[in-house]
Amino acid sequence: MKISFLYLPALALLAACNSGEQAKTPAQTLAQTWPQVEAAGKGQPVSMLMWMGDPLINKYMSTYVKPELQRRYGIDLQLAASQGAQLVQTLAAEQQANQPSEADLVWINGETFYQLRQVNALLGPFVDKLPNARLLDLENPFINTDFQQPIAGMEAPWGNVQFNFIYDSARVAAPPKSFGELPAFVKAHPGQFTIPNEFTGMTLLKSWMIALSGDPKLFQGKFDEAVYKKWSGELWKTINQSKPYFWKQGKTFPEQLAPLHQLFANGEVAFTFSNNDAEVDNKINQKVFPATARAYVPLPGTIQNSHYLGVVRGAQHPEAALLVINFLLSPEAQLKKMDPDVWGDHTVLNLAALTPAQRQQFQQLPSRRYAPKRENIQGLALMEPDPEYMTRLFKDFRTQVLEK
Amino acid sequence: MRSRLLIFFLVILFALPFGLLGLLAVGEGWRFPDALPPAYSLEPLRGLIAADNGLLAGLGQSLLLAGAVAVLATAGGFVVARAVARSRRPGRWTALSYLPYALPPVLLAVLIQPFIIRMHLSGSVGGVLLGLLLVALPFATLLLSSFWTQRATEYEQLASTLGCTPRQALRWVLLPLAAPLLRTTLVQTFLLGWFDFGLTNVLSVGKVRTLTVQVFTYVGEANGPLAAVASLLLLLPPALLLLANKSALLRKP
Amino acid sequence: MKPLKPLLPLYALLVIGLPLAGLGYALLGSVGVVGPLAEGFTGRYWQALAHDTGLLYAAAFSLWIAVASVGISVVLALALVLRAQPSLRRTPLPGLLYVPLVMPALVMAFYLFQLLSRAGWLSRISFQLGLTGSIEAFPELVQDAAGVGIILAHVLLTFPFLTLLFQAIYQESRLAELSQLTSTLGASAGQFRRRIAAPLLLRRAAPTVLLSFIATLGAYDIPLLLGRPYPQMLSVFIATKLQRFDLRELPAAYLAGFLVAAGLLGLILVLLRLVNRGKVEAG
Repeated sequence: MKISFLYLPALALLAACNSGEQAKTPAQTLAQTWPQVEAAGKGQPVSMLMWMGDPLINKYMSTYVKPELQRRYGIDLQLAASQGAQLVQTLAAEQQANQPSEADLVWINGETFYQLRQVNALLGPFVDKLPNARLLDLENPFINTDFQQPIAGMEAPWGNVQFNFIYDSARVAAPPKSFGELPAFVKAHPGQFTIPNEFTGMTLLKSWMIALSGDPKLFQGKFDEAVYKKWSGELWKTINQSKPYFWKQGKTFPEQLAPLHQLFANGEVAFTFSNNDAEVDNKINQKVFPATARAYVPLPGTIQNSHYLGVVRGAQHPEAALLVINFLLSPEAQLKKMDPDVWGDHTVLNLAALTPAQRQQFQQLPSRRYAPKRENIQGLALMEPDPEYMTRLFKDFRTQVLEK
Repeated sequence: MRSRLLIFFLVILFALPFGLLGLLAVGEGWRFPDALPPAYSLEPLRGLIAADNGLLAGLGQSLLLAGAVAVLATAGGFVVARAVARSRRPGRWTALSYLPYALPPVLLAVLIQPFIIRMHLSGSVGGVLLGLLLVALPFATLLLSSFWTQRATEYEQLASTLGCTPRQALRWVLLPLAAPLLRTTLVQTFLLGWFDFGLTNVLSVGKVRTLTVQVFTYVGEANGPLAAVASLLLLLPPALLLLANKSALLRKP
Repeated sequence: MKPLKPLLPLYALLVIGLPLAGLGYALLGSVGVVGPLAEGFTGRYWQALAHDTGLLYAAAFSLWIAVASVGISVVLALALVLRAQPSLRRTPLPGLLYVPLVMPALVMAFYLFQLLSRAGWLSRISFQLGLTGSIEAFPELVQDAAGVGIILAHVLLTFPFLTLLFQAIYQESRLAELSQLTSTLGASAGQFRRRIAAPLLLRRAAPTVLLSFIATLGAYDIPLLLGRPYPQMLSVFIATKLQRFDLRELPAAYLAGFLVAAGLLGLILVLLRLVNRGKVEAG
């Protein structure tokens, strides 16, 4: 019965404040040779911040990647959920406080990459240091450019995906082949269409907006206010005209993707969407979607983008984080990840750089059955526009559609 | 008759959650329009003991966190309430204790997060504990302030007149007197920590994966069975408390 | 026990200091002085407040939810305590009323979603019974425009607690004896309930009822699962603003947080008056 109870938090604070060891500067970390990185990284814990909204992805990380890293390097990979502005905010606050970060490794792309670079929270350039970097398909503009920003070695590509529509072939015989046909279809089938108010939904809106403009080149380069105003205006007009025929008369929209998948599985809506072209296979395998679900890319095409891994500038275990990334880029880990039974995330490796045996494994994945063939949709791939388009669409979708 | 009907209605109302959560936990591929699961599977329950599943770890973390909150807040509240009772202006201190009620836990977490980060407590159990104590300690102080009346002080003085050391007075006089109230406070502050989701989720940066945080993750994945298992685990300790000590569950500030 | 000199200042530092510091930080953030992308003092976000109806709408929606939830709970609890005294004393009932006290809000929300959504259990049962022919035929009970699902969840959590509280006050105040007394004096049971019992219960429970009201205003878990993206309740509104894509929305989010906290502090002052009034009456 002493005041010690009250002082306890204060003591914990004091203890915590004195614990930081003398760490390497970012330049010193990056100056090390790979063997030095390996020596320093082995046996360390790595804290990784990632989107944790998909059970298969979480499973890939915790039942394959985590034990493999433990076995190979004695690395203890700790996964935590964080993404977007929340992630940027946390890292920025840590940096403002001038202290080492709680996170080592982050899974990012687009606007998060842009903002993290703005607040200088990323370590790098580091990609060249990785032995597996020579296998990467860095000539591919869909991989070496993240939302119109050159990755410049500050983040390593991890996977590449293309936005697609998923429908139930048992219920919808002839889905709309293009964005142009979509409004008529929605009107003819009221209550069967909705737009998720999150990342995937925003990719849908971007693809739709580019389709309306008829000229993808307009959206290349820096954000253009005039282009955005004109074509987002058209987009809201198109959507608001169809809105009465949306799910729940367009009075509300799902906030997350998983609930939309559920609506689709229960037959409440005719379409769900995915940023990942192979997701239809992985959801059928999990029995989340009916076996009659199919995926396709509507004309004139949809956005294809990549997602990346970055190292935090204030990371306490940057070397171990580099080892983790290098492992995630290995043909073995990439192949495993590409299997729709596991995750279905397309590889970022240049198949020509692999051995013939490895190449064959990548080309003949038996489990990719209902997803569109990559060769067939590559011609329908649109580049990601500047991240500003997405932040603006997200904001304006709320004011122009949701709240109307 | 009316009374029977009322009881029947309430039984349905309050027993149904357990039934539905139980069905969800063992139902496999259960979708509209099936009224009952087409197949049953113990997979999610078996997952409890699988190494890669965080449910049991979450249970442990939740228990530890809520237990620490309960003990620290109750002990702290006991001492603070005593100091408040003896201060020159107890009313003012009591008023201060109500302030944390003004802030919803999520808002509180958002506001103090910059400082938690600066104290190197972000993403740690310590940070979440501190955040929860900000709510639980004043709560405990308010609950326990009703103990430190004139009478308690008189007993304490009497004990010391009779030759008790302060420690003895505490052990043999004050604690037994306060026991029922202390028990209530312990239970209440435990539940406060046990139930919390918003504050923990913000302050832990997703790292402290208590059961409530996991329920939310599984709901986000639309993983009904695991969300149901986590929910049932979450109901277990309070239900045991309910069986053990019903009256302690009722808070009367 | 020796008096502990630094104890109260330390308590104040922890319990008041930290939240107040946070409030100050939010204020600074709302004028662009602190934060990841701070560019120096600006009144922009405060001025923009006039055009942004989002916060006002969230406040109005939260107010509606809190008034409806607490209102319904109070009415239900009063009805039970005043009209069902015999049942309330019978064995299963008091125990039953404790059950919701062990339910975390998040679990309650998850359960109600599974039960009441259009593809939920009730809808499935009604489909099997032939009452509804399709998913769309089932009424929208959660994630609805009026917040029916959110209100229901709060009522289920609050009314049993208030019933137990009223019942405790009923027994403490010996209202049963008072009821007999008034009836010998010629008052009807209805008059006793309306004129004497209900006002007494409400006055004594006022601080707790107001606390429930404030807690409902700031609710997060339940509206997060059972609400719509628009309109949102306050906590969800602020958390969403803070966690979404655009970092430049941070100052506006801090501003919203600051204003909401200031508003709730005002309510707490009202609460303190109630508590003090109660003390004066009791003492």
